[in-house]
Amino acid sequence: MLKKILLVAGGLVVLAATVIVVKIGPSNIIGMIRYDQRREGDLKVGDIAPAGMLISLDGRAQVPLLKSNTGRPQILVFGSFT
Amino acid sequence: MHERYRDRVDFQTVYIREAHPLDEWQMDSNVKDDVCYRQPKTMQDRVSIANDFVKRFKYGVPLAVDAMDDPVEKVYAGWPERFYIIDARGRIVYKGEPGPFGFHPEEVEAWLARYAQQPVAQSRGRAVTQQ
Repeated sequence: MLKKILLVAGGLVVLAATVIVVKIGPSNIIGMIRYDQRREGDLKVGDIAPAGMLISLDGRAQVPLLKSNTGRPQILVFGSFT
Repeated sequence: MHERYRDRVDFQTVYIREAHPLDEWQMDSNVKDDVCYRQPKTMQDRVSIANDFVKRFKYGVPLAVDAMDDPVEKVYAGWPERFYIIDARGRIVYKGEPGPFGFHPEEVEAWLARYAQQPVAQSRGRAVTQQ
């Protein structure tokens, strides 16, 4: 009896996995495995936001990540075109 | 969001390494939307793609580019996309989950809406720990 239950459960898992792969797409599964670099990171709410330097859009100047002494909150948004 | 709150809040877009370049994990949507770039190998290339982005979307939010060794992205774990809110005292009061599924501009907007309701004298220089 237990064997049958395990077989059915196993079959359902395989079926679910197949549906997921078909739905997401095999190339995306491969992409996720090879290139997914999402991380939680070490920063937490309550931490002092670390400073940093960026490069301006003309490629010539350094731009501070955080504005200082403005008395205003700042929104940071990270991203890329692709 | 930027247009609505720029008079009270500073915005900074950090342009980081590509999420779906054509030589790595290109998505069908990249082809469909004609956003096909290789992962830049030089600062010049990364800056060039960032400029393409700004031009294509007429992106008006302040934007600057992370250096090629990704120093800021490494500290903030910003890849592929992420929001942070830093309060007026320099503390992180919101750390979004990484995108795409964790990228929720509406959460940032909700925080901004609450912040904007505060009188200016009260909000300046005080930590706002709303999330």
